Amino acid sequence: MSAEKQIELVGINKHYGSFHALKDINLTIPKGQFVALVGPSGCGKSTLLRSLAGLESISGGTMKIGGEVMNDVPPRKRDVAMVFQSYALYPHMTVEQNLTYSLRLKRVSKEEMKRATEEVAKTIGLSQLLHRYPRELSGGQRQRVAMGRAIIRHPKAFLFDEPLSNLDAALRVHMRKEIRALHDRLGATSVYVTHDQIEAMTMADHVVVMRDGVIEQQGSPLELYDRPATKFVAGFIGSPAMNFLPATIGPDGRSVHLDADGLGNLFIKGVQDPGRKVIVGLRPEHLEVGPISTAAITLPIGVVESTGSVTYLTGSGDVDLTVVVTGRSDIRPGAHVGLSIAPERVHVFDAETGQAL
Amino acid sequence: MTEKWTNRILLLVALALAALYLFPLYWMYVTSLKTGSEIFATPPGMVPTNPQWGVFAYVWELRGMGRFLWNSAIIASGTMALTAILGTGCAYVLARYRNIWIDVALFLVLMLQVLPASLMITPLFVGFSQFGLLNHPQLAVILAVTAKVMPFFVVLVRATFMSVPGELEEAALVDGNSRIGAFWFIVLPLARNGILVSAILIFMQAFGEFVYSKSIIQAVELQPASVGLNAFMGPNTTEWNNIMAYATIYVTPILAIFVILQRRIVSGLTSGALK
Repeated sequence: MSAEKQIELVGINKHYGSFHALKDINLTIPKGQFVALVGPSGCGKSTLLRSLAGLESISGGTMKIGGEVMNDVPPRKRDVAMVFQSYALYPHMTVEQNLTYSLRLKRVSKEEMKRATEEVAKTIGLSQLLHRYPRELSGGQRQRVAMGRAIIRHPKAFLFDEPLSNLDAALRVHMRKEIRALHDRLGATSVYVTHDQIEAMTMADHVVVMRDGVIEQQGSPLELYDRPATKFVAGFIGSPAMNFLPATIGPDGRSVHLDADGLGNLFIKGVQDPGRKVIVGLRPEHLEVGPISTAAITLPIGVVESTGSVTYLTGSGDVDLTVVVTGRSDIRPGAHVGLSIAPERVHVFDAETGQAL
Repeated sequence: MTEKWTNRILLLVALALAALYLFPLYWMYVTSLKTGSEIFATPPGMVPTNPQWGVFAYVWELRGMGRFLWNSAIIASGTMALTAILGTGCAYVLARYRNIWIDVALFLVLMLQVLPASLMITPLFVGFSQFGLLNHPQLAVILAVTAKVMPFFVVLVRATFMSVPGELEEAALVDGNSRIGAFWFIVLPLARNGILVSAILIFMQAFGEFVYSKSIIQAVELQPASVGLNAFMGPNTTEWNNIMAYATIYVTPILAIFVILQRRIVSGLTSGALK
C-alpha cells in the first residue's frame, strides 16, 4: 500500500522509573487501516495506546500523527479520539451533552453542532436516547455513546482501549462487526487494543502482537496464523491454542522425533540440522484423526468435550495435546487414536530462543 | 426467634445510648424554660411546670445576642470559604498523585489534626501579634480556625475526589480540554456534593469555635457567641435558665440545619459522587 502514513512510530521507548515498559517500538499505520495491538496483560499495549493519545509521555523515539511530530503535544492538540474500556462517559451530562462536549470546547456553532449530533445519533442508533443520562443506559448503549463521542469529531485516528471487554459475549460479537463496519464507512484510521486474539483476528487489517514491551510480530491476521515468527505468537494466535511438543530433528534433517514416549515421528517442511533440539507446534485443527496403522502419532485420549459443532479431544497422561474434530465424534476417553498432519503445517521452533525455524 | 431477640436487644441498647447522649441537650431546653426555684428543686422535674417562654427575648436583649451571632456567622463563613478554596485544590492533588512525597504530605496533614487548639494558640498568638494580625482579630481567628479544620476537610474531600474515575479526566483531555478545564468542568461538578457537605460541616464546627476566639478577640463587639456565652457564665452564676436560653438560641439554628440536611450529609459522606 502506498497510502499516506497516518501514524508513524520510530524507536519508541518508555520507562517508568527502572521499569522499561516499551522497548524500541517501530510501527507505521497507513491512513484507513485498522490495527489491533494484542498481547497478554502488562505487555505494554495500553501504554502504547495512551502514549498515542498523549496521556503518557514517551521517554524516547519519534511519534508522528498525520505527519506531525507529537512527542510533546498535549492530548487536546493531537486530534485523536479515544474510546475507553470503562467508556468514561461524563455522568453529569446527558447523552447529547456527552456527544457534543468536544465540539463545545472547539466552539462549534449551535446549528452545526445540532446537525452533527443528529447525524452521529443516527449512525449509532441513539436518536431516542439523547436526553438520557449515562446511568439510565444499558452497557451496550453506553458503549455506543462512547463510540459516538469519538465519531463526532472526525479525528485523525481512533484509539480503542479494550472497548468491548465490559459487554456480554453475544453483544461483544455483535459490536465487533459494528465497529469494523463503522471504521470502513468513515474511512477512519483505528488503533484497537485488546487482549482477545479473536477480536484482533476478526477486526483488524494489521495485527501487532506485543510481549514485555516488545513487538513480537506484526502482519495481517492470517500471516500471523500461518507463519508465526515465534513460539509466543504461535501460542497466542489461534483458538484453541497451538500444541507444543519438545522434539529432536531426525538424522535426515527432514523429520522430527517427538521426545514424549510413544508419540513417534513427523515430517517437516524444509531441512534442519540433525539432532537439533526443537519445539514442534501443531495446531489442534490441523491434526487429522485416522487409523493408528498409518498415523504418525498415537494419542491416548483423556477428555472428550463436544460443543455440538466441534469436538475437542485431549490426550491423557503426560501428553498435553488437543485435537479439534469437526462435528460429533464417537471416540471415548481411554481410546487410542492415530493422528497425522501435513508436513507444511508442522511449525518448528528453536527450543531455546523460541524463534521459528 | 433468637435473631429477632438479638435485634430487639440491640435496638434497646441503641435507644438507651441515644437517650444518654442527647440528655444534656434535652436538659438545656428544659432548664431554659424553668423558673429559678424549679431549677434547684430536688428531685429535679423532668418537665417544667410553668414554662417561661419570655426568657428567650429577654436574654437576646440582655446580652446583645444579635451581635454575637453575627460575629459567629462571619467567622464561620470566612473559615468555610477559605477552607473550601484552599482545601479543594490540596485534596485534589493528594487524591490524584501517588508517590512518597504525597504520603509524607498526607501524614503531615493528619499530624496537624492531632495538635490541640489549646496547645497551638500560644505560638499562633505570638506569631499573629508579630504580623500585626491581632489588629484584625476576626481575620486572625478565621486563619487560625482554617488551619485547624483544614486536615478534616482535606481528608474528606480527598476521598470524594478519589471516587471520581481518572479516566473521565483523561477522556476530557483527549476531547480537547486543558488540565485545568478538565478539573473545573468534569471533576469539580462530580465532586460537588462531597465538597458542599464537607464545607457545611466546617461551617458548623467554626460556628461553635471557642479557644481561638476567646484568646485572640479582646473587643466584646467582635466576639462570637461562644465567647459571649462563656462571659455570661461567671463563677457565682445562678441564672441557669438565662444561660440555657442563650445556649438554646445559639445552638438551635445549627441543629435545625443539620436535621434538614442530615440525609444529604450522610449520603454525601458515605457514597461517591457517581453512579
